[in-house]
Amino acid sequence: MAAKWIETVIGSLEQKKQYRQYKARVQALPEPYHQAAKALERYLMYSSGLTDGDTMMTMFADFADLWERAAADETPVRAIVGDDPVEFAETFAAAYSGKQWIDKERARLIKAIDEAAAGDAAGGADGRDVDA
Amino acid sequence: MGKQMTEMLKGTLEGIVLAILTRRPAYGYEITAWLRDQGFAEIAEGTVYALLVRIEQRGLVDVEKVPSEKGPPRKVYSLNAQGRAHLDEFWKTWNFLVERIEQLHHVQTDNTEREG
Repeated sequence: MAAKWIETVIGSLEQKKQYRQYKARVQALPEPYHQAAKALERYLMYSSGLTDGDTMMTMFADFADLWERAAADETPVRAIVGDDPVEFAETFAAAYSGKQWIDKERARLIKAIDEAAAGDAAGGADGRDVDA
Repeated sequence: MGKQMTEMLKGTLEGIVLAILTRRPAYGYEITAWLRDQGFAEIAEGTVYALLVRIEQRGLVDVEKVPSEKGPPRKVYSLNAQGRAHLDEFWKTWNFLVERIEQLHHVQTDNTEREG
């Protein structure tokens, strides 16, 4: 019981362990991969909008795989990231469709437009004033 | 490659990669190298990797981890039944678009010829 209560407050212990493992993997990367990975990691934290710890950990584990592979093959950083690092980071994060903070607002928008569109049906067939 | 090419590729790269995987299973680097050979020169390896992760998560490919001489094991991707169905869908959509857009192009070319 106590463990469960703590986990809801500070996140699951398993996730904490995974996160520490991930951090160590990034720390062990040679330069310039370490530098590139840290910069992208920072951006992913902000931009992914993920609030679901499991999805986030899957994303970071894959992210570490990518950089370890790049370092082993000595693939240039530019060849991994491309010309537009922002684009790259966003494409990467888009692969992980976990819960995001924006989901609640998306649901709210869809519901509000459904309600507004229901008003269309009540008026003329095309939703405009018939006698215009 | 220009911005327009990047934008158009964004919508089609998934189909392109699935089509590549019908030939044989491959890992990320092989796919990127093959794309470069085919003239898709500026596709970043990371972009292909992100795409592979996405199609893996959606269950369109099977993944096997194969040990490599140096570094971590390589993930080898192969197309599964769901991926093949998805690729069929991609070709249908692609053919539809090509046909419609070509028609627009012909209309435009005809008009230009008449004016000129």
